[in-house]
Amino acid sequence: MRLFLQQLATGISIGSVYALLAVGYALVFSVFNFSNFGFGSIMMLGTFAAFYAIPLLKLPLAVGIILAMIVAGIASIIMELTVYRPMRQKNALKLYLMIAALGMNTFIPNFCIQIFGGGVRAFPSEWAKSVMTIGSIAIPRADILAAVLSIIMLALLWTFLYKTRIGLGIRASSFDSNTAELMGINVNFVAVIIFMLSGAAAGLAGCFYGMKYSVYPNMGTVAMKGFVASTVGGLGSLPGAVVSGLLLGLLETMISSYVSTTYRDLVAYGLLVIVLIFLPNGLLGKGIHDKL
Amino acid sequence: MGYIEGIMISTCINIVCVCGLTLLTGYVGLFSMGHACFVCIGAYVSAILTKYFGIPYGLALILGGSVAALSSIIIGYPTLRGKLSADCFAIATLGFSEAVRIILSNINHPYVGGALGISGIPHKTGLLQAIVIAIISIFFIYNYTRSQHGKIALAIRDHADASELIGVNIFREKLKVLMISAFFCGVGGGMMAHYYTYMVPNTFGAVMSTNLLTAVVLGGISSVTGPVLASIVLTATPELLRFMSNWRLAIYGFVLIVMMRIRPEGLLGHKELSLRPLLNLYHKLRSKKINTTANISSKKGGN
Repeated sequence: MRLFLQQLATGISIGSVYALLAVGYALVFSVFNFSNFGFGSIMMLGTFAAFYAIPLLKLPLAVGIILAMIVAGIASIIMELTVYRPMRQKNALKLYLMIAALGMNTFIPNFCIQIFGGGVRAFPSEWAKSVMTIGSIAIPRADILAAVLSIIMLALLWTFLYKTRIGLGIRASSFDSNTAELMGINVNFVAVIIFMLSGAAAGLAGCFYGMKYSVYPNMGTVAMKGFVASTVGGLGSLPGAVVSGLLLGLLETMISSYVSTTYRDLVAYGLLVIVLIFLPNGLLGKGIHDKL
Repeated sequence: MGYIEGIMISTCINIVCVCGLTLLTGYVGLFSMGHACFVCIGAYVSAILTKYFGIPYGLALILGGSVAALSSIIIGYPTLRGKLSADCFAIATLGFSEAVRIILSNINHPYVGGALGISGIPHKTGLLQAIVIAIISIFFIYNYTRSQHGKIALAIRDHADASELIGVNIFREKLKVLMISAFFCGVGGGMMAHYYTYMVPNTFGAVMSTNLLTAVVLGGISSVTGPVLASIVLTATPELLRFMSNWRLAIYGFVLIVMMRIRPEGLLGHKELSLRPLLNLYHKLRSKKINTTANISSKKGGN
């Protein structure tokens, strides 16, 4: 029982990281109908900003995390303005957008390996490393922080999307971006907001991942699990992304503790294939068929 | 001589793999992030067949390719049916290639060898065999794209709904192209295994997939000779630019972004490299020469 509770806590904390990443994918997909595969490198850039700023500027952890979110948000906006928007305006095939995204996912981490070195580093926070004991289980503070802050971030996001005027515009654009534009919604502005939000989610997730494991230029590959979670939950569906992110985290920790740690990474992709065979629209998805 | 020969053989191997991928990416417009797994499956199957079962080289290559093609159904069936978003296919290929790599690294059967891979594979890929197989695959893919199948593939890429309305079975066509591309990658993998004579599962990672995709994108989508030319250039250039080999992947990524922004159809998009313009030029020059000599002789005659 103790082992189970311990794994449950670990699963929820890694699951909340996946949920944040999945929400980032889902936000972009819901409006533009394409997946930003360059997301992992955004997450990495944000984490590296916190990694260097916290010891150099003697920032407290909270400020470091906010800085990571801001940097990741800006990186995401730059990506949208320099690459995605010009291509969208040329009505490029979706294939071209995906290739460009993969290009960024190759370029940015390898560039950073040459600049910063490819080594694995520890996230510079002693506070987050200490372990708290609740009842019979021991939880690192980073895990609690990850779960709590993710929930806060998701709640803020939900309020923003459903209670504000800009959020209404975003939802209208995600329903039909052409009609929304005709109704006077500035879709380009919506795009900037969307990319900023998804970048901020990525920065936050990157910090938690860095605290839980380590910081290294290729850490962006974990964002692929976020993408799996967003596909399993139904592409473009925010609640689906959160649910399946948590589900994926729980499944992974349970399987690595009760079955085998070797096949931990197979869980995500196995789940993806099974869900796609039996529920092609994902757990909570509306239709994810390519639109006409 | 051995060095140049080595580069030529690895170029030929790359050409075979790129031939498969260009059909999938360039013609049907499916984006694969993990085609290295088919190279991996082909390499393992053909290496085990020749090393432990004594099956002849050519047959082993074909069998390796066929197993790769069959395994592609595992990702093709769930992700290509029912007009699912192309993103599902991309992520499934990535996941499948990771899965293949993890499983192969953890099987401790003596035939497979786990993370240590297979060594002592008979060296069978010579320069002649490599060039012949490369030419056969270019010939096959070139003719496939010129045939009705190639036209159907282009129709699916450019307008899936319209092509479905005129009676194209999109699922079947996509699956067919996926299997063909996996077959060629598998054959390329078999050639690779019998050239290097050893392999480990980690060779077939994301780096190899990116290299293949870069060749296709740089050479030109909807072209066969373009990617072939690009894979020759991309295999030869790293050898010349050894001193900056660390930057290679960063440069490849940058090239992908810039190509997509400036010229998404690639250097030779929608065109094939052929000798025809040269022949035309030659004929033009020749006819000019004949005309001028004719003029001169007629002038002479007039005088």
